[in-house]
Amino acid sequence: MSISTSPAPNRTETAPTGVGQPVRHEPPIIVFEKVSKTYPNGVMAVQDVSFTVRPRDFVFVVGPSGAGKSTVIRLLIREETADKGHVLVEGQDLARIRHRHLPRLRRKMGIVFQDFKLLPTLTVAQNVAFAIQVTDPGRSHLKEKVGEALYIVGLEDKLNNFPNELSGGEQQRVAIARALVHRPRIFLADEPTGNLDPDAGWGIVQLLLQINHRGATVVMATHNREVVDLSKRRVLAMEAGRLVRDEQEGHYLREGDANL
Amino acid sequence: MNPMPAFRFVLRAALQNILRNRGIAFASVLTVTLTLLGAGAAVAVVSALDGVLHQEESQASVLKVFMADHISFASVLNLQHTLGAEPAVIHATFENKNQAAAQASSSLGLSSALHILETTGGGNPLPASINLHLRNIKAVSQINNQVSTSSLLFPGPHQTDYNKNVIPRLERYIFAAQLGGAILVAVVGAVALVIITISVRTAAFVRRQEIEIMKLVGATDWFVRWPFVIEGVIVGVASALLASAVLIGVGFAFGSGGALALGIGTRFAALVVLGLVVGGAVLGSFGSVVGVRRSLAT
Repeated sequence: MSISTSPAPNRTETAPTGVGQPVRHEPPIIVFEKVSKTYPNGVMAVQDVSFTVRPRDFVFVVGPSGAGKSTVIRLLIREETADKGHVLVEGQDLARIRHRHLPRLRRKMGIVFQDFKLLPTLTVAQNVAFAIQVTDPGRSHLKEKVGEALYIVGLEDKLNNFPNELSGGEQQRVAIARALVHRPRIFLADEPTGNLDPDAGWGIVQLLLQINHRGATVVMATHNREVVDLSKRRVLAMEAGRLVRDEQEGHYLREGDANL
Repeated sequence: MNPMPAFRFVLRAALQNILRNRGIAFASVLTVTLTLLGAGAAVAVVSALDGVLHQEESQASVLKVFMADHISFASVLNLQHTLGAEPAVIHATFENKNQAAAQASSSLGLSSALHILETTGGGNPLPASINLHLRNIKAVSQINNQVSTSSLLFPGPHQTDYNKNVIPRLERYIFAAQLGGAILVAVVGAVALVIITISVRTAAFVRRQEIEIMKLVGATDWFVRWPFVIEGVIVGVASALLASAVLIGVGFAFGSGGALALGIGTRFAALVVLGLVVGGAVLGSFGSVVGVRRSLAT
């Protein structure tokens, strides 16, 4: 399988350190410190979870449905707050961020979801431009920035198509382009391949790897075993809300459980 | 954030909101128009009633102090001067017996009775008076008590034309009219507010995915809120203009024999229109802020 996107066009971006060149002197960009979260219905989604993510890491958060993967993502974008423990992003404790400062936090992050969250009445270009228009309406070179983001995801020829004219994989690429226009330092993906066929799903993972290669830290929650095993990246495995495994170049399943 | 592009985006989003939900927007405008019409009509009627009552009040603010027949003109002038110097008195005028008779003939239809009295040698029974124009109806009682001790007054129980029952009754009517009007306007305003809130909440529900995306990509709460606020203001102002048009139309239909005769002049009509437009805009924006609050909660 190979990624169908064009090569990266933007030569002015920060040079990637690339995977395999970890910079261990830098402080972690994400810190989970003994984090627990129980929803109002009594479901304990996350229990005593601790981990750190270094800048430019690519991390899979894996586990079966209900393991707490999506809650980890929701805690990172402060859609939820931890009941216990601390979640820090770039050294900032998210529990202490005032509600009015949340937009500033979210502009540092690119976020994509399983259901794409595209606006059906807007074209591809308008969907991508929307992220800029609602945060910085006066920003110059809007068209160039939109074109650049769509070029990165390989959809520069679909500017004027509407989402319902695209395949699932293409729609997810539009969502990724929208998340990219702010040039986020952190890229969060919650089951981005969940609605896609294996080829399209692998294409999306390749795209996220490319984004990581360009310098962004990527955290991807998934229960797609193939993409995790093929990617050979760090794996945080969760079960029933607990972090049960943290492996560099890990696999979806623990060694020895591969035939389960 | 550059304000002009932001304003353009927000305005366009507000107009798109209205167009997309034109059925709900149209129903909101009609309902809010009806409620504002009620408020406008209440204000007009209360104001007209208030005008009539104040006219009565201004007439009641004239106190006639009846003079005894035997006193000298110098004493009358002295009393007129003394009373005219009172702070509560705007001016004091002297009305002699002949003027009193002429006034009674013209306004009370007593000309034939006075004529009989004069021709039969009874003379003019009406006393001369000092007419005090008071600043405030509440001063009538105080001035009446003050002058009643004077020895220059007409003997008998009716030294002045002060009727202690009329003034409190007038004041009660004015208070009741103003209170009733205020309650009606408050109720109607609350109804309009609820309608606009529901309309905006519906619009926010329709656009919930858009709001969710806006928040995820880092739009501020106010940036999410502004299109709804502008939508609410447009609905409020459009309703106010419609209600004003209906009220003015009704005013014209009544013509000089109707609303205008009750004191609803052009200036007052302009004030009512201005009040409705400002009220509509305030209700619209406030209703929108309340309506969209739930969508911004997460």
